[in-house]
Amino acid sequence: MAAAALLRRSPAARVLLSPALSSRLVASKPHSSSPAPPPPPSSTTTTKTFSIYRWDPDSPSTKPHLKDYKIDVADCGPMVLDALIKIKNEQDPSLTFRRSCREGICGSCAMNIDGDNGLACLTKINADDKASTISPLPHMFVVKDLVVDMTNFYNQYKSVEPWLKRKDPQSPDKKEILQSKAERAKLDGMYECILCACCSTSCPSYWWNPEEYLGPAALLHANRWIQDSRDQYTKERLDSINDEFKLYRCHTIKNCTHACPKGLNPAKQIDTIKKLQLGA
Amino acid sequence: MAPRPKLSGIQRQALALYRGFLRAARLKSPEERQMIESVVSAEFRENARSVDRRNFVYIEYLIRRGKRQLDQLKNPDITGLSTLRINKASSIP
Repeated sequence: MAAAALLRRSPAARVLLSPALSSRLVASKPHSSSPAPPPPPSSTTTTKTFSIYRWDPDSPSTKPHLKDYKIDVADCGPMVLDALIKIKNEQDPSLTFRRSCREGICGSCAMNIDGDNGLACLTKINADDKASTISPLPHMFVVKDLVVDMTNFYNQYKSVEPWLKRKDPQSPDKKEILQSKAERAKLDGMYECILCACCSTSCPSYWWNPEEYLGPAALLHANRWIQDSRDQYTKERLDSINDEFKLYRCHTIKNCTHACPKGLNPAKQIDTIKKLQLGA
Repeated sequence: MAPRPKLSGIQRQALALYRGFLRAARLKSPEERQMIESVVSAEFRENARSVDRRNFVYIEYLIRRGKRQLDQLKNPDITGLSTLRINKASSIP
């Protein structure tokens, strides 16, 4: 078990723990003649408390609440998703959350961890003593525990028409539509979006107008198609989002860029769209 | 006509949802229509009886769930619906 623990914990974290450990043990021994008091349990077993938002639609009378779970982080993978799976396996099988790839590419496990939106499979467990709070994405309707209703988010993505639209008829020999390297480079920073909804649900403007404002994710994808040189409906795309509510609810709060787990910059893309609207 | 009680917004939403289900049922085959109407009316009556009218969180959750199910039912490719009863043998402590 000790060997397994060594393998899982990073060397840096191990070093951090040992000086604190030894100093705490030394301090707790007041007199050399009196028997040493037993060391406090938290210094030997690395327990971490997780306060997880729980609500069960099948027991409607119980209000949503935070439930505490203690796990031994030395016996668990480094990411929050590992902790959630461990809690579900060992302590409470009724804990419900979405997850799929466990490598930060599917976007299923998006949730609010210690106040910041992120992917549970990419967020490391915070090694300090404070309890970690895990709650669903803010200002989204909750289906159960950490699972939220994403239909509005997906409908907004669909409304942007995220596919290639051409006016020219397809060439008779079905040749590829050519694109230079520079033109393809314009799409970098937009095509990597995994639709996890971390950015949109971190935007206060999206909280107050979720139905009308498209949100940073949908606008990032709108820009991805506006910037694509192969797409010929640029003007129509710009006109369709040139709306007081769809686009201009953005007040450059920049929470979206801070929240994105893939390191994308939706705020910059929205800025590009606004500049294009001035020219069009 | 007896004076109609003033319905609250959430009551109107629930009734609109019920009406939506009945209208969607009309578009299916007659046997299916009967099946849909019986299932839907049974569920609505059961929830009206058992759910506390002040529990807005749960009522809104049920309305959202119902709207999603109605959207699926409206799809012309869907021919009908069926239900199954799950007996909760034990509850998680």
